Amino acid sequence: MGRPRLTPTDLAAAPAPPPAAAAKPSRPARPITDVVGLGRPRAVAFVAPALALIGVFLVFPAVWTLYIGVTNYRLTGAAAKAPSFVGVDNYRTALSDPAFYHSLWLTLVFVLGSAAIGQNVLGLGLAWVLRQANRWVRRLIESLVLLAWILPSSVVAFLWIALLDRDAGTVNELLGHTPGGTPWLVAYPMTSIVVFNIWRGTAFSMMLYSAALSSVPPSHLETARLAGSSTAQTLRDVVLPHIRRYAVTNTLLITLWTFNDFTPFLLTAGGPNHRSEVAPVYIYNTAIIGGQMGYSGAISLIVLLINLLLALVYLRAGRARSRS
Amino acid sequence: MNLARAVVGRILTYVVFGLATAFFAVPLLWLVSTPFDANPGYAVHWPSTFTLHNFTTLWHNPYAPSSIENSVLLAVGTVVIVVVGAALAAYALSRIRIPGRDALLYVLLLLSSVITGTAAMVPTFLLIFQLGLIDSRFGVVLVLSGGLLPAAIFLLKDFIDAIPRSYEESARVFGASPLQILRHVVVPVARPGLATIAVWTVVQVWGTFLTPFILLSSTDKQPASVLVNTFYTEGGSPNLGLISTFSLLYSIPVVLMYLFAWSRYGFRFHGGIKS
Amino acid sequence: MAVEGLTKEFPGGVRALDALDLSIADGEFFALLGPSGCGKTTLLRTIAGLESPTGGSVRIGERDVTALAPGARDVAMVFQDYALFPHMTVQENIAYPLKIKRQPRAERAHRAEDVAAQLGLGGLMPRRPAELSGGQQQRVALARAVACHPSVFLFDEPLSNLDARLRLEARTFIKRLQRQLAVTTVFVTHDQAEALALADRIAVMDAGRIRQVGTPRDVFRRPANTFVANFIGSTPMNLVPGEVRGTGIAVAGATLPRPDGLADGEPVTIGIRPEYLPVLADEQDGTFTGEVSIVEHLGTSSLVTVDVGGELLGGVVPEGEEPDQGARVWLRPMPGRVLVYRAEDGTLVA
Repeated sequence: MGRPRLTPTDLAAAPAPPPAAAAKPSRPARPITDVVGLGRPRAVAFVAPALALIGVFLVFPAVWTLYIGVTNYRLTGAAAKAPSFVGVDNYRTALSDPAFYHSLWLTLVFVLGSAAIGQNVLGLGLAWVLRQANRWVRRLIESLVLLAWILPSSVVAFLWIALLDRDAGTVNELLGHTPGGTPWLVAYPMTSIVVFNIWRGTAFSMMLYSAALSSVPPSHLETARLAGSSTAQTLRDVVLPHIRRYAVTNTLLITLWTFNDFTPFLLTAGGPNHRSEVAPVYIYNTAIIGGQMGYSGAISLIVLLINLLLALVYLRAGRARSRS
Repeated sequence: MNLARAVVGRILTYVVFGLATAFFAVPLLWLVSTPFDANPGYAVHWPSTFTLHNFTTLWHNPYAPSSIENSVLLAVGTVVIVVVGAALAAYALSRIRIPGRDALLYVLLLLSSVITGTAAMVPTFLLIFQLGLIDSRFGVVLVLSGGLLPAAIFLLKDFIDAIPRSYEESARVFGASPLQILRHVVVPVARPGLATIAVWTVVQVWGTFLTPFILLSSTDKQPASVLVNTFYTEGGSPNLGLISTFSLLYSIPVVLMYLFAWSRYGFRFHGGIKS
Repeated sequence: MAVEGLTKEFPGGVRALDALDLSIADGEFFALLGPSGCGKTTLLRTIAGLESPTGGSVRIGERDVTALAPGARDVAMVFQDYALFPHMTVQENIAYPLKIKRQPRAERAHRAEDVAAQLGLGGLMPRRPAELSGGQQQRVALARAVACHPSVFLFDEPLSNLDARLRLEARTFIKRLQRQLAVTTVFVTHDQAEALALADRIAVMDAGRIRQVGTPRDVFRRPANTFVANFIGSTPMNLVPGEVRGTGIAVAGATLPRPDGLADGEPVTIGIRPEYLPVLADEQDGTFTGEVSIVEHLGTSSLVTVDVGGELLGGVVPEGEEPDQGARVWLRPMPGRVLVYRAEDGTLVA
């Protein structure tokens, strides 16, 4: 399942409660009434099909992870036909498995490096700098950045495989090391996927920050300019406070997406030798390749919990900030 | 002093622009140059011998054209389910006060971001397996729909919220039944929102890799996203002409859809960011 | 049309309508007037059937329609934003109610043409609402209401979406239209000038209750309580506290004749419109006196605010006779125009 690629304008409003619709000037807000006389039973009937699909194919598997994680279900062998209850064995194994911790560490590096820092900074930087750019330059760069995001994952994965090829890839060619240059994906797998993901995902942050920056009232910026602020000071004192909410939303979304991104698999398949085995790839390897469904289920749940934790942390941070 | 500062600033800006352009453009250039090259290589260079032969080879490949067909089938199937399901649900949620509505929406949205394919990969596989839908495109459509519906409902509800209720009330006072109101008034006015959701869904499904990868085992049922991967992971040295050409053709519909959506609706589902 | 004991309570305890009783004659142009939040729109929507009352009943003609769906009440409503369906042409919009009533297409088109002609929308039939001006949109909305031949028209702030000048033209237009059609019309407005100009009778509302029902004349000349007195009239009415003393009422340093029905020493509020309180330069009997505080030019007259022993009273002078600031002037109420209210509940005494 691909991550839902919602556009920044839609999702920047997402985690915070929707603001009340602009009320007509002299009218007090009226509670929502049933405008077409649909009636509650029919309304429930309308919502039912969608909820049923979501329930069965999204929620149920997530909940089932709980159950699978406490069995020794395997894809093949005796445990496949009759999985037995093993309690928290899988979890105990997971929590003492160095490979799992290694994978979590790699995921942390991946998320921090490419998303929390990489895409965020580059996205904001590009949005800031492009504001003053000439229209054609802006269009060109935005189109390129967007193209990197739009193209299907299998395609861009191969583009980078070609780019980083040891003997004939463009990077090595530019460095003058052909043939026999550095096999980037093998020698520096984490660096490669981090740079790749920055390239791939900056578009979302850039669009979001672009919208955020245009919501900063020009009068504030002009006041700072009249007071003699440098660019850095303006950024810090005027811009950042205004875009704080967007920054939190953005970071939350790209963190979650990157945490669960399967695309590194297409580049390195977790290798060489598990050196770039981020969490999603690790889960895949244990489940489908290794056939250990039960164990993999336990890991999935732990990963899910980490995600929820991250989401809560961010939401708390966002709300606390807005209250202050 | 200020002039020097300004000039240096200007130069820096141009350097930044140059670097950004190069960084983002270089990997992409391979995609547009190699399909037309008689001697395709990994590096980006002007085609030494310009040719269209790669395209005919692609056409004769046993799996490539049918994989595009599969992508289309998956996209169309998912769009129908998502648009109809999301429209009904979003309308009801927008107009009727169902208890716990706001909480439900946020939980759903959060779920669809957090429970991505990888976290639920194992149980999804098992569920489809139990339902006997392994290696079935219909199964893939169901799973994809389940994953895309929360966000679709969320976006569409916002859109429908912005439609003035007076249209529906007016029709109601004139005696129209709820179904008539939906047909005569709501759906036509909501058409841009519905179209945008449809385009968004198609783009998501077109590029989705993991779900069809896990759930479909026969090569002739796999969509293009999986097939591209198969082309370069299969043993032996990859056929670069085939891969590049296939990638290019496979990517074009997505780019076109984005262009279409952008020009028509400008990516705005509702009034933009409310701060 | 009549409303009996109508109550509407929203979840959370908000009483939008509080046991209202109202009866409207056939063919009457009736205004529901009041500040925002007073319940006038809720009342209109309850008559239309878009809100269901918590108690009480609504009758249209001979029928009790309280339990009927909006579509079955034979009313037509024009919303503040006109609610013209953006994807339909003007003709389709006007013919829409007839389409619901299942009239055959030819008849619908014919009727729509007729009504459009009646409202001066002749050549606009194939256009979409977005291509029309504000005034034209309003007339299309009216045409749509007229086309379905209802027994009652309901207008929700019909003029507030128009800009000021258009509003005056539209006002006259609507009044003529209603006279022609002779259909019972109820309209909601917060603009007292509009209500006075258009309506045959007005109900002034506040916080879910009707404070006064009467013709524009009644409501203007004899407001039944201080709320109505304050609300009606383009310049705020002077409301001054006073006290019954002996044979007169002591108020702001002067004495006014005492009407019947008051007890000795009872506190009262005196109401007099600035328009009925000319400002004079010479001393007179039975007048208020004070120093000029502010002079506001209103065109053919000027509003003079006078400090009368701590109370600020407004009076008028004709153009050209404005007094200087700080000058001592006398204000003499025109006979028969002074209103006496009981201070404790604001009701009119005389």
